Amino acid sequence: MHNTLLIARREYLERIRGKAFKISTVLIPLLMIGSILIATHGSKTAGHIAIVSSDTNLALDLQKELENSDKSDMDVDVQAPTAGWRQRLNTAVADKKLDGYLVIDGTSNEPTISYLSSAKGDIATTQTINAALRRVLTRERLIHRGMSRADIDALLKTPVLQKETITATGASDKSDNTSGFIAAYVLFFLMYFIVMMHGINVASSVVEEKSSRVFEVLLATVKPSEMMAGKIIGVGSVGLTQVAIWIGCIAAMLFTPLLAHIGAGGFKLQLSGLQLVCFVVYFLLGFLLYSSIAAAIGALVNSEQELRQYNMFIAMPMAVNMVVLFPIITAPNSLLSTLLSFIPTSTPLLMFLRLSIANVPGWQIGLSIATLSLSIAIVIWIAARIYRIGILMYGKRATLPEIVRWLRQS
Amino acid sequence: MPIVELNGVRKVYDTKVAVDNISLRIQPGTMFGLLGPNGSGKTSTIRMMIGITIPDAGTVQLFGEPFKRENLQRVGYLPEERGLYKKMNVLEQLTFMGQLHGLTEGESKKRAHQWCEKLQITEALPKKTEELSKGMQQKIQFIASLMHNPELVIMDEPFSGLDPVNATLLQDVLIELRNAGRAVLFSTHRMDQVEKMCDEIALVHQGHLVLSGSMREVKSKYPRNRVHIAYEGDSSFLQHPSIAEAKNFSGYSDIILRDDACDAQPLLQSAIAHGTRIWRFEVVEPTLEDIFITTVGGNVDA
Repeated sequence: MHNTLLIARREYLERIRGKAFKISTVLIPLLMIGSILIATHGSKTAGHIAIVSSDTNLALDLQKELENSDKSDMDVDVQAPTAGWRQRLNTAVADKKLDGYLVIDGTSNEPTISYLSSAKGDIATTQTINAALRRVLTRERLIHRGMSRADIDALLKTPVLQKETITATGASDKSDNTSGFIAAYVLFFLMYFIVMMHGINVASSVVEEKSSRVFEVLLATVKPSEMMAGKIIGVGSVGLTQVAIWIGCIAAMLFTPLLAHIGAGGFKLQLSGLQLVCFVVYFLLGFLLYSSIAAAIGALVNSEQELRQYNMFIAMPMAVNMVVLFPIITAPNSLLSTLLSFIPTSTPLLMFLRLSIANVPGWQIGLSIATLSLSIAIVIWIAARIYRIGILMYGKRATLPEIVRWLRQS
Repeated sequence: MPIVELNGVRKVYDTKVAVDNISLRIQPGTMFGLLGPNGSGKTSTIRMMIGITIPDAGTVQLFGEPFKRENLQRVGYLPEERGLYKKMNVLEQLTFMGQLHGLTEGESKKRAHQWCEKLQITEALPKKTEELSKGMQQKIQFIASLMHNPELVIMDEPFSGLDPVNATLLQDVLIELRNAGRAVLFSTHRMDQVEKMCDEIALVHQGHLVLSGSMREVKSKYPRNRVHIAYEGDSSFLQHPSIAEAKNFSGYSDIILRDDACDAQPLLQSAIAHGTRIWRFEVVEPTLEDIFITTVGGNVDA
């Protein structure tokens, strides 16, 4: 135990002092904040287009819709089809002064509308224009049938869906669940990054010791299992330190007027106690699982380069979590979601996500922790054996039959 | 009680027999040389001694007991391939190693300073390992293995890659330890460098023990049949019938006498009779390397 702690401490101090730790501590939150900002604010369509129409009323209506609606933030010019307009606009598009232009030919009863632009696949703009057109034309036609503007606006108003969640105790909760969802989302990615990054760190730290042959000195006093435990604890503590720093920063922002300053005063992080406890439990278990796998992989290979080929054994199960993220968010309690969240390599992330956005029965949480712990025990048992022998293999890569033989032997 | 005792130890890797039926004992206060060419099984033997690998057959005893990990606290080990943490500074590194061997942090630091002073590398203490030269790294690792004042010192190729000044420095430290009653075992493929140092030797070749015993015993088995001559003038005495083999340089010759003619006197007489001027005429016992080559049949690099 003494040796394990010594090794863990050394590992911890070296990593905390390293550049990689400082950089990732700053960079990961920036990345996360960036991606959240893009996800929440980046969906407005922007651009500069022109509308060519002989029907000025229709054109002006459309301009208003496109410039001021909540979905778009466009710059729109309205032009009458004066002589040579097509030539003029084409040049403007070619010169990048315009992103495109809309031609409304209102001469017949069924107006033909076409959009010409330089970009081939601008789906968002096309959709925005389409929606705006539909609203404007509907209004136009209703006016033609003699309705008043006020009536039309009242008719076209989209009802707002009020959302409430019913908690386990049966009480209803009206609080803003988008912020709850965002919190879960943030924690999901936090866990993802940390487990992924530090899991791979365990492997590379084993490989480093292997390639620099330090382990041979260590093995002359320390048991392989103590070495492995020391590494996992040491690197894991680095991950925890990082999370603690971030949580500290978030808390500082929440309890100071700083948040209001940056214009997000209404935003409240909503995390239940259960969510927090589960985050810690799943985070630790997930880290243990992935870092034991990583330790075994580290013991199998001889160099950083070789390790990169094996890193997919850590990255692949992690990637599964990302791939199934969407189906789980849309239906957190479906059979598929439930089954997926019971795969040990996915349990930490997916079960946490499910219980953050839906009511997951307590027995599922308990059972998932049990199965996860069991698989961690199995993986550590296997990893310790591979570690014991693999760490002394050098010169050649281990073949699968060899690994199986090691498992039986040691 | 011998500090180390190997009995009929054998180790096989896949299909290659690395060590086969090696037995040896090392007493306290002995400088033991484990000698042999590259790939002869020296490192494999050492690794089994300290429980890094387990022998396929035979027994290993340290301090009179079968292998126990606690006993490794009494062993100082310098592996053949140097292993230090690249990013860690020397003082921290030495302190860490000392602590792993049961020293307190303070004691560990104190000893690190003492040793670095002794080996004249105090200036390396605050530096990171990767900033040091190979030779300095080797000295640091040498210190790391001695921090806890071990009763048994095992060093795999401790002098390889060192300049003569530093090699002598480390040799002196080992001799000091031997004189203080420690058992010191080291391996090397440079037999010529260590002849003077060893009290006992074991020569291994292709995993087998070809020779072992005290330096005196081994040498006394081989007659003084080497002659070094420096001369001027007529060289026809080199055709003398008592010569089995001769390496002739200009004005200098290394001669091996025939087994049945273990006397250099007739050769000297013949030289004088030819009127050759003799500057030096030295009859010596064969070197370890000579003995090794004779024993295994000249196949040193196998």
